[in-house]
Amino acid sequence: MKKILYNQRVAPYVFVLPFVLSLAIFFVYPVISTFIMSFQEVLPGQTHFIGLDNYRNLWDDSFYTALWNSSKYTFWTILVLIPLPLVLAVFLNSKLMKWSAFFRSTLFLPALTSVVVAGIVFRLVFGSLDNSVMNTFRHAFGFETINWLGSSASGMLVLVVLATWRYLGINIIYFMSALQSIPSELYESASIDGANTWNKFWRITLPLLKPISIYVITISIYGGYSMFTESFILWSGNHSPNDIGLTMIGLLYRSGIEKNELGLGSAIGMILLLLTMVLNVIQLRLFGLFRKED
Amino acid sequence: MSTKWNRPQTWLLLALFVLFAALSVFPFYSLLLASFKPSKELLRFGLNIRLQPELLSFHNYSFIFSSGAEKYLVWYKNSLVVTVIYTVFCMLLSSMVGYGLAMYRFRGRNIIFLFVLLVMMVPIEIIMLPLYKQMIAMNLINTFSGVILPFVVSPLPIFFFRQYAAGLPKDFMDAGRIDGCSEYGIFFKIFVPLMTPAFGAMIIVQALASWNSFVWPLIVLNSGEKLTLPIGLSSLVTPYGNNYDILIAGSVLAIVPIMIVFIFFQRYFVSGLTVGGVKG
Amino acid sequence: MKKGITLTATLALALMLVLSACSSSGGSSGKATKVVFWTFNELHQQFFESMADKWNAAHPDEKIKLVATTFPYDDNHNKLQVALQSGKGAPDMADIEISKIGNFLKGEPQLVPLNDIVEPNKDNLVMSRLDNYAKDGQYYGIDYHVGAEVIYYNKEILDQAGVDADKIITWDDYEAAGKQVLEKTGKPMTTVETTDQWSFWPLVVQHGSDFLDKDGNVTLNDQANVDVLTYLQKLVKEKVAVVAPGGFHHAEEYYGFMNGGGAASIWMPMWYMGRFTDYMPDLKGKIIIKPMPVFKQGEMRSSGMGGTGTVITNQSKNQELVKKFLDFAKISKEGNIEIWKQLGFDPIRTDAWTDPAMTESNKYTDYFGKDIFTFLSSLKDEIAPTNIKEKTPAVSDVIKTKAMFQALNDLKDPKQVLDDAAASIK
Repeated sequence: MKKILYNQRVAPYVFVLPFVLSLAIFFVYPVISTFIMSFQEVLPGQTHFIGLDNYRNLWDDSFYTALWNSSKYTFWTILVLIPLPLVLAVFLNSKLMKWSAFFRSTLFLPALTSVVVAGIVFRLVFGSLDNSVMNTFRHAFGFETINWLGSSASGMLVLVVLATWRYLGINIIYFMSALQSIPSELYESASIDGANTWNKFWRITLPLLKPISIYVITISIYGGYSMFTESFILWSGNHSPNDIGLTMIGLLYRSGIEKNELGLGSAIGMILLLLTMVLNVIQLRLFGLFRKED
Repeated sequence: MSTKWNRPQTWLLLALFVLFAALSVFPFYSLLLASFKPSKELLRFGLNIRLQPELLSFHNYSFIFSSGAEKYLVWYKNSLVVTVIYTVFCMLLSSMVGYGLAMYRFRGRNIIFLFVLLVMMVPIEIIMLPLYKQMIAMNLINTFSGVILPFVVSPLPIFFFRQYAAGLPKDFMDAGRIDGCSEYGIFFKIFVPLMTPAFGAMIIVQALASWNSFVWPLIVLNSGEKLTLPIGLSSLVTPYGNNYDILIAGSVLAIVPIMIVFIFFQRYFVSGLTVGGVKG
Repeated sequence: MKKGITLTATLALALMLVLSACSSSGGSSGKATKVVFWTFNELHQQFFESMADKWNAAHPDEKIKLVATTFPYDDNHNKLQVALQSGKGAPDMADIEISKIGNFLKGEPQLVPLNDIVEPNKDNLVMSRLDNYAKDGQYYGIDYHVGAEVIYYNKEILDQAGVDADKIITWDDYEAAGKQVLEKTGKPMTTVETTDQWSFWPLVVQHGSDFLDKDGNVTLNDQANVDVLTYLQKLVKEKVAVVAPGGFHHAEEYYGFMNGGGAASIWMPMWYMGRFTDYMPDLKGKIIIKPMPVFKQGEMRSSGMGGTGTVITNQSKNQELVKKFLDFAKISKEGNIEIWKQLGFDPIRTDAWTDPAMTESNKYTDYFGKDIFTFLSSLKDEIAPTNIKEKTPAVSDVIKTKAMFQALNDLKDPKQVLDDAAASIK
């Protein structure tokens, strides 16, 4: 018994065992089954193979619209939801920051608010009438009323605002927890060497936040491409004018579930899986995550 | 970042935070206000955010706790049970896996890590049908186990713990071995305390995820007495009209448990608490 | 350091115990047969629960124990689809909304044909409402209501403009009246949906066409469809109609707009009455219900829109009993009267419409007056049917996401818009 407990070769396998088990029991079969379905026409009581037809049929306008929307959304959320929470977390972590606890809680509050209900407020705030909150705001600057949820650009803006509102607090939590693992001695010795605040942020804080930043970027890519709820809620369903809010999962949902073409839905899922996988592997390679000595 | 702030900068920064806080809180404020009014008032003239003290009452809340809405309390209880069990086991198992992946070099490490990422990226919507069949085969339909088990070893926290542990000094492992700790002792006695901020963050995030989880519980759970809160609240929204009374007050009350979790666990990643522990 | 591993093992064991402790399924049935029912509307659940009580009182030897659950709208259908697809876990009875029924009629429907309870009552039922849930001569679902399309006028606004609603017979009259309203009050005559189909579909059907023909082929771009869309676009261009705030007639923003007297009229099915009573309290007593205008004299003045069918799944172990109960709840005259009383719907059985019970006062008669069904009876033979087929989900998708918005918001050429829409449906 003692030997096993102290064996450094066995230990890593014990540590990862829960994952391997869970993978084997709950994911291998469903994923393979989905892969097979992507080559089938799945009808109640009449399922049969149709070769690559699903993969051929999926390249239509809706697919490109969904891909483009999801990519834009992912791009903007990464652009906003990485630097902003990082900087805010650094401020909130500072001992000199006033009311830090209060701000932490208020910024986290949106993540708790039911999106179903918050959606009602967002739809009304970004309403198309003259007296909606955001249109009143526009009037104050001399602009005219617009239909916020009616055009591609403003619709995307509202989506990114909604995402920022919801996830800012969560990303702040990630960065704040990572800031705790930076030993304060590093800052102290840097001060002695005459480094200013800016230098310290650039030379110490940022590099040491790298592992968590990689994590946040990775889940943002994944989260961006799998976004569905925000769009569903903003347009009260999976239907937006001219598909300006159609996302990859929205398309998958529409084909696989709403139109009950599970084969086609599975094919879209497979493409989506491939896409996020490739993007993330590229990103992780760029950051050197697979290198031996990380 | 311990430099002195110049006064104008401090105030500018504070103003910025006040702005962010106000924007964050605004939708919640309108809901909180609406929850104390008759539900029709929220929609009556567009978004109604005037205080109107004469309209405020606890009626919606007392309705939730009356027999007319007893199902709400059932949903609430179910969500609490699922969230607590899920979070506890998810933390234990995921931190082990993440730690193992970060601290050891072994054959298959990169492959397993790739699979972690892969599982994270599989949209639940596409594996729903086969996973459902499997739940039937395993007799887990309409049980909380069916809701929890497939996702309790969750890739997202594994990844997070891996990244967090990767940032910790490996010297502690050798120090632990010299002190006579087993490999698992090193994890539980040395690294779990070192990862306290990570646990704090992940408990909040995963409890929140479980509390809000929707798609999978909905597929697994079949009967009214098993439904969880997000499903129950969504069932009040239909294309043919919404039950705003319970919906709004109910979702305000739904914030309470996770807010408590947040307030309790956030102190683990607030400055100054853990640095001392590193030397332990 | 055994502690670590023991701890883990203990926890794992505890996990199993705790979880398995939760998995006992409750079900203390006495002699009564358990009937599981899924719906997406808690009012439907309450209706069926009350009907189960009535059934048990009337049939003490065949008691049922109804276990009803309300799921969110989309997910009620997803769950049912998943359960029927995998052959396990489906309820005895379920509600399927009309726009989703096409999915369940694909391939071999996994539902029980209801012909033996439908056919004996053929003469009293609005059969076009049952055709929506039929395939190859088999009826699979029973609707709650006819969903007769009507037009709701805001009498206060019409009076200000000096318009008499009874003089509006054709859509040309309607347009003229609309211009008068706009001129006198500055308000639009009506609103049109840009992300839903209720402004467009009834007019198409009453004009003699549909999105799909009887065989399920796409007719979305035929002349009648183009005529109607051109007419709607003209109303928008003349500012007689405005696009509905929020995009459709169920948006929160829309309720506030109408409640404040935003437009002089709106055409929606009878079931929209509930939206007036619940979300537009300030219009009480000001709304009058009238038949729809027509494009040509002799065209039908209403159509059956929307709906939800109750089906029995082939996984039910007590299909005969469940059928009898469904007959009792939704086909019998008594059941149909209850549908009006409890749900405020126009029930599918026309001999119920003339029953004295239909004029008893409730929140609808308080809001709209007592002669709702006298009015509806006059339209009895003018309710145009719709064709609900396997392609219905695909058509309604393209209508909701593209066609309406492009024609009524972007003001693109209606013919082109509909041609594109029809072409996109495979």
